[in-house]
Amino acid sequence: MQLRTMSRRRFLGVSLGGAGAGLAGLTGCGSAEGSASAGSDHLSLWYWKGSLSDKLLATARRGVPGVPGLKVRGSQIPDGDIDSKVRTSLAARAYVPDVTVVNNDNLATFFPDENEFLDLRELGAQSVRDQYLDWKWKACFTPTGRMIGFPLDAGPTALYYRRDLFREAGLAHEPADVAEEMPTWEKFIAAGRTLRAKEPGKPYLVSNIGNVFQQVLLQSSRQFVDADNRFIGDQEHIRRAWDLSVDILRQGLSARITDGTPDFNAAMSGGRIATMTTAVWAINSLKDTAPKTSGSWRLTTMPDGPANYGGSYMTLTRYCRDPEAGFAFLKWLLSPANQLESYQEMALFPTTPAAYADPAMHRPDPFFGGQQPIDVFGPAARKAPVVYFSPYEESANTPFFQELTNVEMLGKNPDRAWRDAVHTAETTLSRVGVS
Amino acid sequence: MATVLEPAGAPAADEKPPAGRTEPTTPGGRRRHLPPLLAISPFYVLFAVFGAFPILFSVYLSFQDWDGIGDMRYVGLKQYGWLLQDSVFWHSVLNTFEIWFLSTVPMLFLALVLAFLLHSQVRFAGAYRVAYFVPNVTSMVAMTVVFGSVFAQAGLANSALRAIGLDGVGWLSSEWGIKSSVSIMIIWRWVGYNALIFLAGLQAIPTEHFEAARVDGANSRQTLFRVVLPQLRPVVLFAAVTSTINGLQIFTESQVLFQSTDVGTTGGPGQEGMTIVLYLWQKAFKEHQFGYGAAMGWVLFAIIAVFTVINWRLVAGSDDDRRPGIAGLLRRKGARRGR
Repeated sequence: MQLRTMSRRRFLGVSLGGAGAGLAGLTGCGSAEGSASAGSDHLSLWYWKGSLSDKLLATARRGVPGVPGLKVRGSQIPDGDIDSKVRTSLAARAYVPDVTVVNNDNLATFFPDENEFLDLRELGAQSVRDQYLDWKWKACFTPTGRMIGFPLDAGPTALYYRRDLFREAGLAHEPADVAEEMPTWEKFIAAGRTLRAKEPGKPYLVSNIGNVFQQVLLQSSRQFVDADNRFIGDQEHIRRAWDLSVDILRQGLSARITDGTPDFNAAMSGGRIATMTTAVWAINSLKDTAPKTSGSWRLTTMPDGPANYGGSYMTLTRYCRDPEAGFAFLKWLLSPANQLESYQEMALFPTTPAAYADPAMHRPDPFFGGQQPIDVFGPAARKAPVVYFSPYEESANTPFFQELTNVEMLGKNPDRAWRDAVHTAETTLSRVGVS
Repeated sequence: MATVLEPAGAPAADEKPPAGRTEPTTPGGRRRHLPPLLAISPFYVLFAVFGAFPILFSVYLSFQDWDGIGDMRYVGLKQYGWLLQDSVFWHSVLNTFEIWFLSTVPMLFLALVLAFLLHSQVRFAGAYRVAYFVPNVTSMVAMTVVFGSVFAQAGLANSALRAIGLDGVGWLSSEWGIKSSVSIMIIWRWVGYNALIFLAGLQAIPTEHFEAARVDGANSRQTLFRVVLPQLRPVVLFAAVTSTINGLQIFTESQVLFQSTDVGTTGGPGQEGMTIVLYLWQKAFKEHQFGYGAAMGWVLFAIIAVFTVINWRLVAGSDDDRRPGIAGLLRRKGARRGR
């Protein structure tokens, strides 16, 4: 009896304590200066698994070399949540990380609130400008000219193709020859027809036309919304990407399979898809998806030239307790030498072209028959165009990808789909102040 | 309260009046109520912070234009106006109802049958109950990935169809394929839960009723429809209302099933898997239109409220004779025939 009362009382005490702790945590909001690291001896960093080198972060936790007294402690946030978590903490003005990683497409979504981030020019970013890729550097700037991002990694693109299938179809099949024979998307489509007609397995050229649409888009410096917040998605550069994609479908060269699904995995390992147009970071997932095709793949320049697909940035929030130290950390973590280490450890493709010459990046890859991927991706990274992404890119391009899927999967009339996409994009954008 | 409940004739002089049992308005009375109030306060405090506040704030938010960080801009009823003209929103409403109907009707029927079977004497009844309930507590995200390969073009579902000589179905690439896949996942997850609710209702029915029915020569179908169902009405109402509320908030199934990192589509081909909550999520959390998302949340609330009332009238209405309802009509007809 006595025991039971005790435990009941303890239970009540514990539950009250829990509520009290919850309240204390809540009242903590707003009282501190806003940084997640307030009152500690380190700077806080948010990143997602795989976006930064674990070894370098372990070093930074003990002390950033060359910056006496600076320690940086990283916290892993799931990559799907990190942007909304950063957004939430900024809205709450509390527990904001000092340093954070932002994914490619999402840096622009912070442009309307650019003052939430420090302008890295004021911290001396200009002094290291020549170490970084020009287009990547330019992408760190908001339309008003503030530099809120710092180059992390790049996503140069290439044409991944099956050398064996190309050869059996009587097509050019060595990387240099393929690049020469298929310099444009039109020539690429023509090769796809030959492939389907002559190769005994009748492979498809691409898994789905959305990928082609995406790459043709990224080859253009203009996307769906320009820097003056005007909708330009109904113009020629988008229409060309649309027409090329629809043409591939009309000619029966698309397997009409969504990437990453079990059907895609089966088609890739079964040799039913002859090419992929995507970025350097797809190498590892391709190796996982189709290990049996090792040695058959080759890399070459993408039709119509290279582009950049993905790649991240690092930012300092305005709550950063020590901006100078924060920038010193970025300069150290993303220096050419450390980007090279991150490439070797995590396959993060450097944004510092000096690293491309290093012997460590020139390893033959048996998956590509001994070809050195850097020979294709290095030049591609240097040549990628400067692209302006608007904060409303996702709102604007979603209807186009959606309608393209409708054309591909449900057989919707392409012209009607185009009109619907333009209409939906215009309506959506008008609500957020894009005309 | 305690003073009111005290038996009127109790000789107060015999008992020592317990401390604090005086007028509740005195400070001592308040102190007496403090411990129980504190004891239940964790729930109310947490509810106020994480439940009530977000709900009220979302009302305010639905009249604003806000990207989550910057300044809010008051836009009046514009968000609601835009929403009512948004064809994708209406498409998602239609999808939600189609999926809800495709899932709830077979699910409740199946659950009733299962409950009836579990209620009869079977061996390992406990094991069956656990087995049927397990899907409800399984991670839906993990299960959706599994179902993704079941419904793949060369997946288990199509292999099974081909094995019995039928053509494969584009489970994830045709309008009704998508809706059926999502519905099957919902049925899989909720049928056991509802079966247990029905089973609890069945067990509350006195066995005399079954015995009486058997003595009167009723077969099991008659027992089910004449004896069991009428007495199960409150339980059926509960199951129907909760299934409606859950069914109109379908999200995970569609979101994970059609998740694609490369291509910006939501809800699959033709957006046939786009549900109201998925669209809300896309607008609020992917495109950072929080005002629009909040407005959508309140329209969804209104839709659910209307359908809960309709459900209530259909299933429970017969308790009140002035309120006509299907169940009431059936019962009255049945009674007349019985006479």
